[in-house]
Amino acid sequence: MLAQVFAVIIFIAMFVFIVTEIVERHVVSLICALLTIVLVFGVGMHSMAAVIETINLKSIFVREFWYLSGETSGSSAGINWETILFIFGMMVMVEGMARAGFFRWLCMRIAKLVNYQVIPLFITFMVLATVLAMFIDSITVILFLAAVTIELSQLLKFNPVPMILSEIFCANLGGAATMCGDPPNIIIGTSLGYSFMDFVTNTGVIAGVCLAAVLVYFYLIFRKELRAGASKSVDYSSLPSPESTITDKKGFSVSCAIFAVAIVLLVTHAQTGLTVSTIGCIVAIATLVTSWKYAILLLKKVDYKTLLFFIGLFVVIGGLEQTGILEVMAAFIGKISGGNVMVMIAIIIWLSAIASAFVDNIPFATTMIPIIKSLSAAYGVDLTILAWTLAMGTDIGGSSTPIGASANVVGIATASREGYVIKWGLYCRKMMPATVMVVLISMLMIYFRYL
Amino acid sequence: MEKQLIVSVGREYGSGGHEIAEKLSKYYKIQLFDHNLLDAIAAKKNLNMDHLKGLDEKHKNPLSSRTVRGFSSSPEENLLYLQFDYLRDKADSGESFVIVGRCSETILKQYNSLVSIFVLGDRDKKVERIMRLYQMTESQAVRKIREKDMKRRRYHNSFCDRKWGDSRNYDISINSSKLGIDTTVELLTDYIDRRRNRQED
Repeated sequence: MLAQVFAVIIFIAMFVFIVTEIVERHVVSLICALLTIVLVFGVGMHSMAAVIETINLKSIFVREFWYLSGETSGSSAGINWETILFIFGMMVMVEGMARAGFFRWLCMRIAKLVNYQVIPLFITFMVLATVLAMFIDSITVILFLAAVTIELSQLLKFNPVPMILSEIFCANLGGAATMCGDPPNIIIGTSLGYSFMDFVTNTGVIAGVCLAAVLVYFYLIFRKELRAGASKSVDYSSLPSPESTITDKKGFSVSCAIFAVAIVLLVTHAQTGLTVSTIGCIVAIATLVTSWKYAILLLKKVDYKTLLFFIGLFVVIGGLEQTGILEVMAAFIGKISGGNVMVMIAIIIWLSAIASAFVDNIPFATTMIPIIKSLSAAYGVDLTILAWTLAMGTDIGGSSTPIGASANVVGIATASREGYVIKWGLYCRKMMPATVMVVLISMLMIYFRYL
Repeated sequence: MEKQLIVSVGREYGSGGHEIAEKLSKYYKIQLFDHNLLDAIAAKKNLNMDHLKGLDEKHKNPLSSRTVRGFSSSPEENLLYLQFDYLRDKADSGESFVIVGRCSETILKQYNSLVSIFVLGDRDKKVERIMRLYQMTESQAVRKIREKDMKRRRYHNSFCDRKWGDSRNYDISINSSKLGIDTTVELLTDYIDRRRNRQED
């Protein structure tokens, strides 16, 4: 009982401190992790075994961590080192691509392809945000897209805010489509043993349908605003040519090749048996070896704070799991739904969406994974259905408020630095209806496809 | 070319700090930035920023904002960065100006031409001034002063390491109630001129 009380207090305190930003979130999660080890596992449970199980270092030294010869059930207990290694590897690869000028080149190439016409640019940038975010973290996608959007808006004389808002939404949507698009999906995938293609054929299909809907939605609400300012006589010569944005031609070719290899490895990992941790290591090593001159610089640019945040978070959630708190929460959801799977799906998707709009979706998804496992075991509901429901809710819900997802924050800040300060009212007026629409479509698609 | 002069004026509400800043700007014939800073930025960027006036000199709300890798969703904080960039550009261009508040004593600290001043005042004198200027009762004036100073403190302290009004943060802190506005201005111009002469030597 004492261990449960400690686990809940630490968990709530962690959320409060993350939201208030009194100290950085990785510091909060690491302190809370330490408290979990001392108070929950030590004072409350007197269990060294729980500590070892949660730290989970032994998982790295088994063959299944690197290579799977058959099906896996995954594991959600303790620190998910597979997630940490994969994200680290992708971060190194993305830094290598950014250094060579890949993202800016891609944006400028597409802008040129549509002859710098505002509406086609608006549509193609939304699609580009979705596709890129399927493989690359949404922060990087928005960082480059928003910067290029502002640059183009100054020349083409249109308001960049509608375009940036649409790109943010699509980046979050793209993240929902694949296993590596958004951290909650990586955690869900590695914890429950799903492959990249499992996500593509399930959340990917839902995201595809939702993309069609949001393209229409954003076009309808923003078309007048975008057309109003668009200048007819523009001097395109003042824009950099796509080729001129490449800062290192050899590095560019190499990083494109590594990116292509990463996609192939991810798409085929269920067949090859390579786990995401192996794929993460392969792309990181390939990037560092081929860009050895910049290896230290690339390693310095990795967002270690986020990785540390994940490590602390997994320990705190491990505390809740070991003390059985999450089973109590699962039983509560099961009781409310009366065992009805439709109600259960509705609760999970809307609860995830609403929570993710206000709190970090990573701790939320991490908390919910053991809960949906318990629900599946207790009520005989197919776990995959609940997993796709959780992924869509957490990935999409964050789009509705300025603080819901990292991409939102980066997009808003980038626009604001150029004088386009985006306030809560404007953001929510445009993004909340889109979020509600997409969550609703996702829920209905889950009902019709799986029930 | 005239030597650059940047005067940063922090002030307690009711101390007459703004009036002092205006008089200094007139005396040195240099531009004054206060609430008009937003208009100047809007004009430079060819944007309408009227809807942002309510955010000027406001602290960020930690519950409704989030920071990711140094990027913030807070409109107050983003507006502040816009103002910082604008002021640094002005300072880099060698232009002279007087700036009221807006953490200017901190963000322009690296410029040798900066003279940072904090104007404070006696409570009774500040109340008297606010009652006279805004036709308020004593209790209304006291409340107004408390509210305004609290806002300025929270705004400043949420973006700067040193505390608002801490004398170690400014070149000179002066109580305007002791000498009155005009004599305070005379004293300050004397201080600024001596500083400038010293730099020239």
